[in-house]
Amino acid sequence: MSLLEALAVTKVFGGVAALDHVDLSIKGGEILGLIGPNGAGKTTFFNVITGLYKPEAGEILFLGQRIQGLRAHQISALGIARTFQNIRLFPNMTALENVMVGRHCRTRSELFSTLFKTRAFKDEEQDIQRFSCELLEWVGLLDRGNALAKNLPYGDQRKLEIARALALEPKLLLLDEPTAGMNPAESEDLMALFRRIQKRGITLLIIEHQMRVVMNLCSRVAVLDYGEKIADASPADIQKNPAVIEAYLGKTNA
Amino acid sequence: MDKHKWIVWVLGILILGVGPYFLENTSLAFLIRLAGTAGLYMLLALGLNLVIGFVGLLDLGFMAFYALGAYTAALLAIQGWSFIPSALAAMAVAALFRLGVGFPALRLRGDYLAIVTLGFGEVTRLVITNWDALTNGPKGLPRVGQSIPPISLFGFVFTTNLHYYYLIALCVAAAVWICHRLNHSRVGRAWVAIREDEIAAELMGVEVTQQKLVAFGVSAVFAGLAGAIFAHRESFVTPESFTFWESCLLVCAVVLGGMGSVIGVVLGAFCIVALPELLRDLLGTGFASARYLLFGISLVLMAIYRPQGIWPSRRRSLELHRAEPEQETLFDVENKR
Ligand SMILES: Nc1ncnc2c1ncn2[C@@H]1O[C@H](COP(=O)(O)OP(=O)(O)OP(=O)(O)O)[C@@H](O)[C@H]1O
Ligand SMILES: [Mg+2]
Repeated sequence: MSLLEALAVTKVFGGVAALDHVDLSIKGGEILGLIGPNGAGKTTFFNVITGLYKPEAGEILFLGQRIQGLRAHQISALGIARTFQNIRLFPNMTALENVMVGRHCRTRSELFSTLFKTRAFKDEEQDIQRFSCELLEWVGLLDRGNALAKNLPYGDQRKLEIARALALEPKLLLLDEPTAGMNPAESEDLMALFRRIQKRGITLLIIEHQMRVVMNLCSRVAVLDYGEKIADASPADIQKNPAVIEAYLGKTNA
Repeated sequence: MDKHKWIVWVLGILILGVGPYFLENTSLAFLIRLAGTAGLYMLLALGLNLVIGFVGLLDLGFMAFYALGAYTAALLAIQGWSFIPSALAAMAVAALFRLGVGFPALRLRGDYLAIVTLGFGEVTRLVITNWDALTNGPKGLPRVGQSIPPISLFGFVFTTNLHYYYLIALCVAAAVWICHRLNHSRVGRAWVAIREDEIAAELMGVEVTQQKLVAFGVSAVFAGLAGAIFAHRESFVTPESFTFWESCLLVCAVVLGGMGSVIGVVLGAFCIVALPELLRDLLGTGFASARYLLFGISLVLMAIYRPQGIWPSRRRSLELHRAEPEQETLFDVENKR
């Protein structure tokens, strides 16, 4: 069974289809690339999967369960986490707290246990903190743990966003142009991180503009153009696909 | 550094705790009552801060919940209810109304929500003013021949301003403690995350609407309690105490003190309530008419030079645990490799 199954997903903005009957199936454990020219509908696809937008038509199954129509936080709790094309951290919280927020749906302390500082509250708070520290260490940011997110350099913010998403213990991680604005050394660094994430058993769907990253990292690549999926194949085949070359590589090479 | 801070706290608590006791029979006795009033506004500002400062929702009608608390307590006290049950009822009524308005209003964002809260504040005041049968209209409660008795707790009757001062101080301390506790908990972090980026928070698994409602409810509980104490202390309530202007002052207290900062908001409420009165006493009544002008000027200056408030909120630094090799890790690095 595939981890995520999108069937004929359609999303329309003001009469224009940003997604037009898109089918996409993601197998557990793979790194799937999602590419396409600007405005092709890649981010919209993420927004539809994560419940930010409601699709006009189509069906989305996650682990066999229909998820369209669920609230975004419910979808996250099922195990889909994401990062954003324009980084969306909690700027005035510390890096550590950003990750701790990611633990929200895996923990339960409510008002009363908080106010009465019950045993369960204290234990859970400690677990949240320990888990989050370990996660920060894992992405190499522990030393900046108490810095406000807004004060981190750009590359670290990207990593922090990934750490925060990992705190949800997702089964599927959606990354929206994670290497945008990074120099080759930094994107190399991130690619290594993605491989480590994959080794943890997390499936990745990555929107990516840098061909080098896509070709190196992904086992499969899907291509969107004007909201339609025009190809879905191995990186090598994608590079040879005439429709893709016309829509995407052709333009950038010209 | 930390040692000095500790001394400042102890000194402050000593002065606030013992000071009023020695002032009681002096010409400065009016300060005790003023401090009590400031304390009630601190309770309100602390409650409002949960919504404005933590969750980041502007509320321009917060006095409505103070009014609901005060009138509920007044009506019940007239019926002979004692303080604790009537205060609990006041808190419950305030919270219920808060949730009742909040649930539909939370679909709105930003300015629209602010307008709805403003409207609710005014509607509440107008209903109280016009519902003669229940509230005795603009003349206020109690009616002739009835009375709101002073608070009596465990056989002790609160008769003087000093008694109420201590009661209010205790409540403020408890409220500060609650806010502080919330600020650094799973719930509080979710609230702040909503303030920082609502969409990111929702996508990180925070039930945004539910969490906003919880914050709304808790804030109204603070207001309800303050209202109940107010009704008993004055032994009189009229709609005039709950105007839009007062709601605005509360927002100013939160902004001036430092949004999201628990200590800051307490200071902010002090500046809003006590400072103008103190200055009036120092500078004579001629100042009375100018005080809100000065107040406005100082707000503008604050907005320009110190927008984060008198005592800005700070996120707490936490100990950064490094995973030890022999220790079993929660986010298990080695095993899953
Ligand atoms: N909220 C929205 N309202 C209206 N139109 C939208 C909205 N979001 C996206 N669109 C439109 O949908 C189309 C697809 O946008 P989308 O952001 O998904 O593209 P993308 O593939 O992520 O592009 P990029 O590479 O620039 O990030 C665009 O034409 C965009 O203008
Ligand atoms: Mg995009």
